[in-house]
Amino acid sequence: MKAKPVVTVDPLDKWREQLRRGGLELAILLSVSSIPRYGLEIIRYLQESTDLVVTEGTIYPILGRLTRSGVVEAEWVSDETPHPRKYYRLSQRGRKNLDEMLDHWSSYRSKIDHLVEAAGRI
Amino acid sequence: MKLNEAGEARVRGYLFVLGQSLKSFLPRAVVMDAVQELESHIRERIDEAEAEPDERTALEQVLKEIGMPQRVAQAYSAEITIEEAITTGRVAPTVRAFWNLATTSILGFFPALGLLLGYLLGFGSLLTALMKPVLPNNTGLLVVDGVPRGFGVFSPLPPGAEMWGGYWIMPILIAVGLAVLILTQRFATAFLVWWRARRGKSDKLPGWPV
Repeated sequence: MKAKPVVTVDPLDKWREQLRRGGLELAILLSVSSIPRYGLEIIRYLQESTDLVVTEGTIYPILGRLTRSGVVEAEWVSDETPHPRKYYRLSQRGRKNLDEMLDHWSSYRSKIDHLVEAAGRI
Repeated sequence: MKLNEAGEARVRGYLFVLGQSLKSFLPRAVVMDAVQELESHIRERIDEAEAEPDERTALEQVLKEIGMPQRVAQAYSAEITIEEAITTGRVAPTVRAFWNLATTSILGFFPALGLLLGYLLGFGSLLTALMKPVLPNNTGLLVVDGVPRGFGVFSPLPPGAEMWGGYWIMPILIAVGLAVLILTQRFATAFLVWWRARRGKSDKLPGWPV
């Protein structure tokens, strides 16, 4: 009898997904850190500058959560286009959070780079 | 592209279905805000689109790219409820997240059932402990003709039945109840973390950076 192939989760895929999830919030905060952006604009910005493809079903709930927690501020603007747009920008608290996240990111990246270098993989 | 009356009706219909689907899982205020925001998103996409080869086809293409309203609502509500459950670790958001999973997928149904049983067992144990001082002769292990038949609060007692267990069962029930609730909550959070990672993969979103 022929054994059925066992379906396994590719650990690399899992790792990529975890990395993507972990980086998404930072990427969103960075995208609204310099200028206010609306949802579709954030999606396009992330897609163009990072190849990070996010769907409507992913980004709006995250933006909603960041707004509710006071990290970003949202404002409806209705005088630019025939339909109103909801713009997001970093709040004072969000700016502080972002600074801390970037410090942590930078330190983490340099540690990993150090390990890569020590392993002779560069 | 500017929509004619039929196109406007199609968009309104899409938003109506979206709102109805979201209502099942999310509070009213969140639904209203989500629908308003997604309407803005859809209209933005429509504005950018060219009416090629004709307006109807172009509109259908935009809506197809965004996804069926039920699917968008499902992704949206799952993202909100699961995120809230994982980040807060509270019982109410966890129940909402499992309700969402149980009603939208077969794989989510059985863990939701397990969660329900865990909560029932945990709260049941605590409630039984609280009832012991109120109904001391009706709370404990029910034994009928020397055979154990159940554990809890029984009133009135069936003929030939006697209750086993004194006040000493109270601390045991409280400890068991709390342990079951904590383990259930931990299992629930771990499952939601796993589910989110799995769903992220099934969305076929590319990893980052690639």
